[in-house]
Amino acid sequence: MAHPAANSVVRLAACDCLTPFGDTAATHAALLRGERALQPTPVLGREGGDAVPLALLPSRALDETCPPTWLQPLATLLAPVAGSGWGTARRPVCVTSSNFGVGSAYAFRRGGESAHAAHGAPHTSVELVRRALGWGENVAIFSHACVSAHLGLMHASRLLAAGAADEALVVSYDFLSPFVAGGFHALKILNVDFPAPYQDRAAGSIGLGDGAAYAVLTRDRGDFALAAQSLHNEMYHFTANKPDGAGFAAAFAPLAAAAAGRKLWVKGHGTGTLEAGRLEATAVAQAFPGAPLVGWKGSLGHTLGSCGLVELALVAASLRTGTAPGTVGSASPTFTDAVALAPFATAGFDGALCASNAFGGAHAALLLSHA
Amino acid sequence: MLERFIQAVRTDDPGAEEPAATRERLKSRFAPGAVRRMTQLGLFVGGVLGELQPGEDDALVYATQYGESRALEGFLDSFPSASPTLFQTSIHPSGAQQGLIGRQRSVREFFPLAGGRNLVATAVQAALLAPAERVLLCGGEERGTWLAPAGMASNRAFAFALALTRARSADTLGRLALVPAPETAGALALADWFALLRDRRPFDGAVAPGWRLTLDWS
Repeated sequence: MAHPAANSVVRLAACDCLTPFGDTAATHAALLRGERALQPTPVLGREGGDAVPLALLPSRALDETCPPTWLQPLATLLAPVAGSGWGTARRPVCVTSSNFGVGSAYAFRRGGESAHAAHGAPHTSVELVRRALGWGENVAIFSHACVSAHLGLMHASRLLAAGAADEALVVSYDFLSPFVAGGFHALKILNVDFPAPYQDRAAGSIGLGDGAAYAVLTRDRGDFALAAQSLHNEMYHFTANKPDGAGFAAAFAPLAAAAAGRKLWVKGHGTGTLEAGRLEATAVAQAFPGAPLVGWKGSLGHTLGSCGLVELALVAASLRTGTAPGTVGSASPTFTDAVALAPFATAGFDGALCASNAFGGAHAALLLSHA
Repeated sequence: MLERFIQAVRTDDPGAEEPAATRERLKSRFAPGAVRRMTQLGLFVGGVLGELQPGEDDALVYATQYGESRALEGFLDSFPSASPTLFQTSIHPSGAQQGLIGRQRSVREFFPLAGGRNLVATAVQAALLAPAERVLLCGGEERGTWLAPAGMASNRAFAFALALTRARSADTLGRLALVPAPETAGALALADWFALLRDRRPFDGAVAPGWRLTLDWS
């Protein structure tokens, strides 16, 4: 029996993202043009290595500096939500990431500069951001690999639903470093090939990207609603999903029930790995028959713990502007006929399903609809 | 007010125990061969959490400030020949996942927290807001080596796990409540929270700006 979705409906009062293309509008436009932010980049930064597909912010090197090079671009993105009004009991902040300041930890280990250590742990990285933005101290920190952002959204939604907050800010940031690029390269997931999400080809591969985003959640303000959210954790294997796709189905089932009668399209996780892509595309086709499926990591790379929020901003932009980008970087044949390779009109749809997956067989999904 | 009742408590206070000794002490709690690949924190958390028998319908909340410090140290040390095993093991929330994957125990909701001044408050908040009938709240730390003096790893080790339900029962051990307190400011460190649980001591005080925590024992 399917579990009910977490149906605390909240509104999306504001949402924006930062990618190598720029903000949400610039990124959405670049995706519509089919542009790819990923570029061949030495996997270990200044120490070299294979040239793997990475999407770094303009002028940002893979090796970390002190203070981190990502801090100013992040502060610029978050300027609309800076100030002491955030981070109070009634206006809490949820920060999510899978990387936080691990690039600084890597720089500390490789170069020995103690200044890097000051923001190398998750909580000290967030403290650096908190001080830069002038937030109060009511800041929660979640980290669950590539579904991290979804947890921030769900926790914030529950605070609102319980009347424990008036509005909540969810912030997610993940900036690449040799630590994470080297790790995925060691797992042989990140190699010299560019990702082609949902494409049925001989070998899979991913790309990685810098990404950050924020969302302001409220009970009654905003033109979109998070109508339902769902989680499922397989605990089958650290880096593989159950081969029968049961984890994907378990995550989608509550949302399929919540979405009954609505016409949806699906923004999938779609990193470019073969098995997960095949399982996800099949599960989407079964749970949401006829719904177009797109993934944007073939252009942006995988923004890791922030992908759920970065891509939520792009989904909202797609619904608002009337056009969703296609699956950039992929070509036929695809795992299912539902994979949309080209941009398509969103006017006839009631909303979109946004899905993310992570190590440990973690699944998260949400239903974004017009309020 | 957010409230739940404590049905079970497990703690592990291993002091300065080294990983090899932990592996030997706790190996009977895990599948044969599994402990060889587990971290010390994974053993600590997996040990106390396993006694509560997590199930598909439970919600799981996991709190740690530093996580897999020794795996992180080992992975950083492995460059430029990055270790794939240490990479996946160092990723948060591996400490809670290791035992669950070993036992093949899926859970619907899993909220791993990654530190901060309000770590305890947020973890309790997440546990009390979860709609599941039973919530398992666990956490802990392992002692780091070269990352600890740099402030990126814990100096001490401990682990805890609580089973929380919505309703009081004959077996209820205590009560956990979060109450809005607008003028309140304060924090409760994870190690101090652990000590409250280990010693079954009550607490009534600020744990985050605007939030007061009450821990009562029956």
